[in-house]
Amino acid sequence: MPTLLHDLAYTRSGDKGDVSNVGIMAKGSEEYKMLRAAVTPAALKRFFGDLVTGEVHVYELPRIESLQVVMYGALGGGATQTLRFDETGKSMAALMSRFPIGGDDDEQ
Amino acid sequence: MKTVRLGAGSGYWGDMIESATTLAKHGDLDYMGFDFLAELTMSLLQGAKRRDPSKGYIPDVVPWMRQLLPITHERGTRMILNGGGVNSPAAGEAVAAEIRRADLDRVRLGIIEGDDLTDRIPELRAAGVPLVNLDTGDTDFDSIADRVVSAHAYVGSESIVEALEQGAEVVIGGRLADSALYVGPLAHEFGWTPDSGQWDAIGAAVTIAHVIECAGICCGGMSSQWKDVPDPWNIGFPIAEVSEDTSAVISKVEGTGGLINQWTIKEHLLYETHDPADYRMPDGIADLTTVRVEEIGANQVRISDMTGRERPDQLKVQIGYTDGWIAEGRVLIPWPDTLEKADRCEEFIRRRLEIIGIEPREIRFDRVGVDALGGSMISRPSSDPEEIEVRVAARVETRAEADAIRRELTHFTTAGPVGTAFGAQMKAREVIALWPTLVPRHLVPTNVAVEEVTRRAHIAS
Repeated sequence: MPTLLHDLAYTRSGDKGDVSNVGIMAKGSEEYKMLRAAVTPAALKRFFGDLVTGEVHVYELPRIESLQVVMYGALGGGATQTLRFDETGKSMAALMSRFPIGGDDDEQ
Repeated sequence: MKTVRLGAGSGYWGDMIESATTLAKHGDLDYMGFDFLAELTMSLLQGAKRRDPSKGYIPDVVPWMRQLLPITHERGTRMILNGGGVNSPAAGEAVAAEIRRADLDRVRLGIIEGDDLTDRIPELRAAGVPLVNLDTGDTDFDSIADRVVSAHAYVGSESIVEALEQGAEVVIGGRLADSALYVGPLAHEFGWTPDSGQWDAIGAAVTIAHVIECAGICCGGMSSQWKDVPDPWNIGFPIAEVSEDTSAVISKVEGTGGLINQWTIKEHLLYETHDPADYRMPDGIADLTTVRVEEIGANQVRISDMTGRERPDQLKVQIGYTDGWIAEGRVLIPWPDTLEKADRCEEFIRRRLEIIGIEPREIRFDRVGVDALGGSMISRPSSDPEEIEVRVAARVETRAEADAIRRELTHFTTAGPVGTAFGAQMKAREVIALWPTLVPRHLVPTNVAVEEVTRRAHIAS
């Protein structure tokens, strides 16, 4: 069974236009290492599926042992025109918490 | 070492006024900043101003200043607000009236203008500004040119500094960048101005501003730590005590609710900042990758080692334009057969739209309580939930089409399965789409007018 990101980190998300960002704060240094290895743009694209139509970037903040995930085309057009209930993507952080870390393979 | 105490009195239009007054009374503040604006706000305010030229500012400014001015005037705390929206002079008049109502004497009021580019678009295009869409790369501005309702530049702190130098006690502007509300006083107090070339210090100011600008949201609001946050209904708004060495201690008034620890500060450093090495604000670029975060006491976190780079040559401009209508409606479906009834609802609406001949640009069906947030990431439940709210949202070209779609939901409650509950349906709303772009800084000069509001002027008038 893979570990869930939820067990290793705290998350919180926000929006700018149609761009969603999810801040991922590792609970410790070991956890930060595991997150850096697992949270890649390709894996995130697979994980979010049709919720994210554009590019995904992952930035590292080693001094606060955190990752910043920035996803384009991720909010159905952005707060002012999206048809989603969650216009500003606050729940993207919660969806992210189910991201699988490790396990037998990279598939979900 | 010299220190300056900044407090955040509002993070959005509609924030908690009690937290602001508590902070003003007990925060021992030199300055208070108030952010009222979100990405869509300026478009909404342009609409209000078109209907009534005396409007277009954030209405909350009036009750907030009514409660706060007597407190801050007595304590010598100066306030900076972006609640002027699209009509800072009108906001200024309203605030002047509050100053007189409170019988305060000699209050200098600074009004900043220059961020509103709504009527300057043809001129900017004639000057060769391409107005490329920053998010999509779209260069075809002509496709939206005749539908533009608002255009505003996110402006920096120069005019705030000027107002403070002229002794302004209250400074009101429009689309002042959130960060400018706090970078301004720090530039004024410590000399961290663009001319000084102290880009690391300015980067630090931008970072400190970012941490506190959403008010309670760095104090355990909207927090991953929510289970450990005491009394969020009485949340304390943040104080940044900034030292001349560019470090700052983030805290809140003792006895208030909320929580400040390493996690609440880290989650806010990450909040909506995107590339952390390149956090671009009109006053400077902050590099958030160098910041150190230390808990130094209960509800006290020190941030230090901030760095930055020279401010960008171009300012971000947010252009709003009309782009169709959204119809949204909901019905609440009870057990039994909740999942099957929800499927029937979707089929019903799709068939009805075929019959009445409406083809939405986009349509979405949510089963609230099942997949409204997770969409395709959520698999179908194996058993029927007690209730499912079916939410239908559709984007169409006209208001008439939007109203027609909403009517079909009532048809579902009368022609669909027994037990379907319906509440008051939401009104159709016009879509204001956003076109973010860049405009060279030198084409967006801001200016400030400082006037003294006195009792005498009141009596004379």
